[in-house]
Amino acid sequence: MRGVHRIDFSRVTVGLLALFAFALTSPPVFAGQGTTEPPLKHMTVNLHDKAALRQGAVYFAHQCLACHSLQGVRFAELARPLGLTKKQMQESINTTGIRWFDTITSPMPVALIKKFLHAPAPDLTVISKIRGVDWLYTYLTSFYVDPTRFTGANNVVFYNTAMPDVFADLQGLQAPVKKMGYRYSQRLKIAVGVRPLTKGTMTPVQFDRMAKDIVTFLYYVGYPHEQESHKIGLWVLGWLAGLTVLAYILYKLYWRRVIRPEGGRWWSYWKH
Amino acid sequence: MSRSDTLAVNWVNTKFKEFVAWWDERLPVRSLWEQHMTGYPAPKNFNVWYFFGSLLLLVLVIQLVTGIFLAIHYQPNPNLAYWSVLRGIMRDSRWGWLIRNFHIVGGSAFFVLIYLHMFRGIMYGSYKKPRELLWLVGVAIYLVLAGEAFLGYLLPWGQMSYWGSTAVMNFATAFPIIGKAIATWLRGSFVVGLPTLNRFFVFHVFLLPLFLLALVLIHIIALHQVGSNNPDGVEIHKNENSSGWPRDGIPFHPYYTVKDTFAVGAFLLIFSFFVFYHPGGWGLIIDKLNFIPANGLHTPADIHPLWFFLPYYAALRGIPNKFYGVLAFVFIFVMFAALPWLDRNPVKSMRYRSFLYKINLLALPVSFLWLGVIAYGSATEPNMVSGLHVTEMFYAVFWLLPYFNKPRSRGVTVAWLLILESFVWLIDYWLYYTHAHGWALMLQTDWIPAAYLILILLPAIIWPRLARDAPRLPERLTAGGLTH
Repeated sequence: MRGVHRIDFSRVTVGLLALFAFALTSPPVFAGQGTTEPPLKHMTVNLHDKAALRQGAVYFAHQCLACHSLQGVRFAELARPLGLTKKQMQESINTTGIRWFDTITSPMPVALIKKFLHAPAPDLTVISKIRGVDWLYTYLTSFYVDPTRFTGANNVVFYNTAMPDVFADLQGLQAPVKKMGYRYSQRLKIAVGVRPLTKGTMTPVQFDRMAKDIVTFLYYVGYPHEQESHKIGLWVLGWLAGLTVLAYILYKLYWRRVIRPEGGRWWSYWKH
Repeated sequence: MSRSDTLAVNWVNTKFKEFVAWWDERLPVRSLWEQHMTGYPAPKNFNVWYFFGSLLLLVLVIQLVTGIFLAIHYQPNPNLAYWSVLRGIMRDSRWGWLIRNFHIVGGSAFFVLIYLHMFRGIMYGSYKKPRELLWLVGVAIYLVLAGEAFLGYLLPWGQMSYWGSTAVMNFATAFPIIGKAIATWLRGSFVVGLPTLNRFFVFHVFLLPLFLLALVLIHIIALHQVGSNNPDGVEIHKNENSSGWPRDGIPFHPYYTVKDTFAVGAFLLIFSFFVFYHPGGWGLIIDKLNFIPANGLHTPADIHPLWFFLPYYAALRGIPNKFYGVLAFVFIFVMFAALPWLDRNPVKSMRYRSFLYKINLLALPVSFLWLGVIAYGSATEPNMVSGLHVTEMFYAVFWLLPYFNKPRSRGVTVAWLLILESFVWLIDYWLYYTHAHGWALMLQTDWIPAAYLILILLPAIIWPRLARDAPRLPERLTAGGLTH
């Protein structure tokens, strides 16, 4: 054969990619069943919704702060994003007498909570980063009655959670909806959803709104600079795009005299 | 005095020349500039693969500058570290969040770029004579960078930081007899704790960056000593004009500086997208578990390294014996370093190498990525054993390189196939014999390295021309390969 092998590299690539795809998809065929993940309820966070954020902060102070802290957040920092004055903040949110520039710390001693529930209440500063928005929303709305637990409650997405059903009075009690599934590779009935048992003081719509507001607030404190970052990012990307175009033009101007495709392919600027 | 001498521009020009002359008397500024920029002949036919070297320099600068600011606000103490990052840097200090985002995305960008840079070197045979040392220094840079990434990952003191470091520090215990003593000495403690965090901080911000800068300098000096390779693998210095300038070379400055400026713009566009919109990289750049503070009493179900170490992790986990597992992934580094001596074919660029060599070349990133995907899955059985077999395929890519050193007869090719196959099967048999994995599991993915060797060598037996390199090489640079 004369010359260089002519290879249709696209075909080869497609072939290898197909092999790769096959190999990627084949392991689940052999994989064990593990634990069935109950479906998550979806929610979209809208940080522009100041009312939701504010309500979320209020709910957090009233429902969560008794046990959970936000060690990463200073109380004073919240005034601007929530659009509240210092006076309003102190009246509506500061239920536990946090000093203005202090971090938001629960008054509950960790030792006490460990005594009550056999586990510390985790700090919620970056909980949205760890669990994700959908998981948090599902978690807050899917407590169910479980007499085998010492708290009397269990959760669909967090099996055997140590957290008691603090929403029992607001939401009412719930019963699990069970389906056949796997837990640690054992085939048994697992909870995949909930159905109401008793009525709470809130309507389902109100409670749903509350859960979403709390998640919105937790999402905000997880990364408080997100909106600012997106806003600056747009300018930076725009500026860089302009710079890149200019740099490309400059590059072409410089190289215009270098690349002279004489005979089609040879570059021949440096002829001496 | 002519009129033009009175022009402000000329006055500035004269003063600038005087300024440079003043410096040049005292420091070889001009000669350095001329030697390494305006007077350094770079081949004309660099393609996009040649951007990554200068982009790596850019990322190095980004990491150094942002790293200084982070070090100012960081507290290397287990009681303070976690919140000094998440509150002190991310919230309390102004623009701290942006600087940290730059630093973490920069860490991942470093590895994206260095992997592309390495693959460029492998594609165009840039490790071959006279560039062996250049390649070895590069491998050293890669190793130091891996160390940098590992050390830096402990600093946020999250769960993954803690348990990742614990796992890696335990590699030392794989050494027979003195292993445990070494591990304790490295940690400065019996578990990862305050002494470990302190020394990791010092090594991360001081010792390894010093090595890194020195090695990068040596890398560039070595490059400028031997000259750049190019996509054609032609030595441009073999064809010089009467004044000693290679006919196929152009000055690095301004031609490649202006071209690299465009590359910098394009790179920063992608980089900034991540910095501003997805600093966590969907869980790849920051592991979700690392937002949980380190807890020595609570081991996570799955301990993962970050994405750039995943292929090594798959190799480690494929062999359930610590000593051989560590050996398996150290061997990957060794093979990278040994490339100039594995591949001794005189043809440098893959453009003029055989068809089967090109397939082998393509299998390198494919198997590397595949290993990464496997290691991303949980540490349960099908993943561990398939990790082992894809590691064997990855090894086979390197083992096949000496085969392509010269044209081989059919008989020799058959021998190569049999020897490599039996080698792979011997490893598998040994692992079966030591009850590492059962037969049933082994057979599920055993075919991968075996089939890969057949994929490369069987066509070479049937159609030997598929393993033949191009009969003639270009003497001068081409724009995109020889045509005929």
